[in-house]
Amino acid sequence: MELLKCSGVTKVYGKGENRVTALNGIDLCVEKGEFVALTGASGSGKSTLLHILGSVDKATKGTVTVDSVDLGKLNARDGAIFRRRKVGLVYQFYNLIPTLTVEKNILLPLLLDRRKPDTEYFETIINTLGIKDKLSALPNQLSGGQQQRAAIARSLIYRPAILLADEPTGNLDQKNTKEILDLLKLSNRNLNQTLLLVTHDERIALEADRIVTIEDGRIVSDQKRR
Amino acid sequence: MWESYSKSYLKNNRASSLSIMIAAFLAAMFLSLLCSIAYNLWAYEVEKITIEEGSWQGRIVCHMENNPLSMIQSFKNVEKVVVNEDLSTKDRQVLDLYFENPRSIYEDMSVISEQLGLEEEAVSYHSLLLSRYLIHDPKAERTPLLLTFYLSILILMIVSLILLIENSFQLSMNARVHQFGILSSIGATPRQIRICLLQEAVYLSVLPIILGTLLGIGVSLCFTEAVNFLSADLSGRHKAVFQYHPMVFAVTLLSSGITMLFSAWIPARKLSRLTALEAIRNSRGSQSGKRKHSPVLSILFGIEGELAGNALRVQKKSLRISTVSLILSFLGFSTMLCFTTLSQISTRETYFERYQGAWDIMLTIKNGGGTDFALTEELQKISGIREVTVYQKEMTTIFVPNYWQSQNLLALGGFGAVSKVSGSEGGFWVKAPVVVLDDNSFLRYSSQIGSSQSLDGAIVYNQIWDSLNSNFRKKEYIPFLKEDIKTTVLSDREQSGQEMEVPILSYAQKLPVLREEYDNYGLVHVIPASMWKNLHKTSHIGETDSCIRIFARNGVTLEELTDIENRAVEALESGYQIESENRLKERLDNDAMIRGMVVILGALCLLLAIIGIANVFSNTLGFLYQRKQEFAQYLSVGLTPEQMKHMFCIEAFVIAGRPLLITFLLTVLFVQFATSVSYLEPVVFWKEAPVIPILLFALMIAGFVALAYYLGGRRLLNCDLKDNIYQ
Repeated sequence: MELLKCSGVTKVYGKGENRVTALNGIDLCVEKGEFVALTGASGSGKSTLLHILGSVDKATKGTVTVDSVDLGKLNARDGAIFRRRKVGLVYQFYNLIPTLTVEKNILLPLLLDRRKPDTEYFETIINTLGIKDKLSALPNQLSGGQQQRAAIARSLIYRPAILLADEPTGNLDQKNTKEILDLLKLSNRNLNQTLLLVTHDERIALEADRIVTIEDGRIVSDQKRR
Repeated sequence: MWESYSKSYLKNNRASSLSIMIAAFLAAMFLSLLCSIAYNLWAYEVEKITIEEGSWQGRIVCHMENNPLSMIQSFKNVEKVVVNEDLSTKDRQVLDLYFENPRSIYEDMSVISEQLGLEEEAVSYHSLLLSRYLIHDPKAERTPLLLTFYLSILILMIVSLILLIENSFQLSMNARVHQFGILSSIGATPRQIRICLLQEAVYLSVLPIILGTLLGIGVSLCFTEAVNFLSADLSGRHKAVFQYHPMVFAVTLLSSGITMLFSAWIPARKLSRLTALEAIRNSRGSQSGKRKHSPVLSILFGIEGELAGNALRVQKKSLRISTVSLILSFLGFSTMLCFTTLSQISTRETYFERYQGAWDIMLTIKNGGGTDFALTEELQKISGIREVTVYQKEMTTIFVPNYWQSQNLLALGGFGAVSKVSGSEGGFWVKAPVVVLDDNSFLRYSSQIGSSQSLDGAIVYNQIWDSLNSNFRKKEYIPFLKEDIKTTVLSDREQSGQEMEVPILSYAQKLPVLREEYDNYGLVHVIPASMWKNLHKTSHIGETDSCIRIFARNGVTLEELTDIENRAVEALESGYQIESENRLKERLDNDAMIRGMVVILGALCLLLAIIGIANVFSNTLGFLYQRKQEFAQYLSVGLTPEQMKHMFCIEAFVIAGRPLLITFLLTVLFVQFATSVSYLEPVVFWKEAPVIPILLFALMIAGFVALAYYLGGRRLLNCDLKDNIYQ
């Protein structure tokens, strides 16, 4: 089942002499439950594509559909609600709200929707991610690895259609990198969570089912490994 | 670093520079206004003293035969010596001395008096005038605190402005901690960073300080004119003329410069102390990791309330000044209005209402040398006058033996218990004000109280305030003396020591309706003019001013009353030295004075409110950069623009609501306290409470806070937040 589809996605920044084409006619399909690694050199357009897929940014040209939703047609409000419900975003620097406890951070997408959490699912997530004893702590009281686990838990709490992770291990040591990757893989396998992971690290990319490589805003390779 | 870094930063970040420039402009304006008003108040005070008491600095009284003029003139520091013709007599000469440098007047005058061989008492100083130039007697035990007072206000103002401006610098500097980390990592020393920041501060402040200072002078000029305009009708006040001295300009510039440099130095010092790593990581980000929780906002507004509450707590320090100044301004404004209302009610109840029916025009004949009671008939001829009463007041004392006290007074513990004044053995001395009425008025008064129509004795007002069972606003009275005493002895104990025996016709519970207020524990004697004349043949007590109370028709207008007043004065001024008062005019003067006070204090409160509102503006707009990351985080978890706007509304509601709520509570407490100490029924106040102006002021504060948030929020929501996700 096709969950994500990009057709001729182009993103241009600036005008005239300052015009930069970040993405140039990207065509990409991702199936439900697939684990895709998006690789490429710095400045190749990986993060720009991730922003467009997460409805943080809009494509200049082309269409993007995620779970049958045409992202180009969403206004700011609908984009935010889409991001809250359909997409889980994980960043290199975690982006946890420093003034909220870990528990509140994890539940934030639900709280913004005035929804009560599914206690059983919440327990499953925090047990799986090993942060049960950190729920009342503030983000700055956690290590980098623990903060990233909390960020992953937040991204999973709404059972999103797709998890978009932008260099999620870029700020972590080797041990934590392995643990976070294992957790992402676990969510992919056990929860059938579709996962699109942006990385420039080849070893991390090799963990994925499929590796898509971008160069100068174009897909130059798309390899299925399994 | 100026050429290589600061110039381009300032050029490309006009918004953050603007908030600093606005802060500098406001600081300079307030300091300039303060200095200019303080200088003008001082100049006005000096002018007033000079007009009323002269501009002499030292004064010497000596005998004519000494003729020391030329000798005094030869002193190096003496500018001139003038003979004071008004005070000099045949035998003694009064010399007014002026010095070139009055600072050494106390030393020079003692040398002069020593050389002239004068006693210490022969030398005097215009200490009031000299103290205005901060010249004080070195032998004085207590140094006057005038300079300390002025300096304290200036320092207080500077400190509060430093706190305000420091925040603007802090915001601007915090926004580029990361940049300073990079500079530090490539070898910029803490000193270089500090100097760079101070250079920026100077560059951004010079023009705003000059413009702010000029505006402050302009506002001060308007203030002086406003005071003149509001007090134009007040009699006896001389017009204030706006003055300015280059020294004031220098002090303003200096204090503004110090304020700006110090404001920039505080955050610059903190920033320069960060290590390169700390700065690059920006570990002092806008949101600290301290536990923040806002249960009330969370319950009221859900997660947006909690996020807004947490953000406000993070900003607590920088919002403190705006909160304090908003509270101060609103509290100042509301308590001032409530105080004015209370004072108006009090004046109306204790003065205008009590004396409303007691006079229309009062004429006082100064140093009359005995009262001409025949004036009654003469004045009665003037058309428009309904009734004229001529009376004279004298102050005497009377010894009251203990056994004269009434049963009611003894039951309360006697005079000592009620008046809290201890008497001597066997009795006590009390004041006995004498009111001498023309015979016709006396007879009219006699018939009013049901006394016999006789002119051969006094009527004694036999009431004493029961201070144990009633308050001063609602006094209850009991009889003072037993009413079988037939004669009293009035004594001029404090002056000539003469006494006069006065037969008592009757005792009264009511006084004649006159515009007079008597001591709480006095025995007022009302005496007919004819009898007073006879008593005066044997005893010369008194001879003070006489009063003429005039009633016009009911519902008389101000114009009519002024016309009657002029004609009455005209009729008398050829023979007497007259002072006249007009009830309606006095009321208008009183109203004008209160209005003027309200406007002046209101203007000061408005200035405070502007400081608070300016601070909210600078915070909101300045926080734009710091809060980009915060809102980018919200964006990434799916907070909609509406929810962000909701957060702004909650923040604005709290920022404006907190000072308003605190002020409302404090104002209510103040009113409760003020009404209880003044024994006024709270309901009387609340009926006339200045609700509308207070609500308008509150709305203005709320409106400006909302506007600041609207502008700041709009800018934040319109900018591209996605790049900040990676910061």
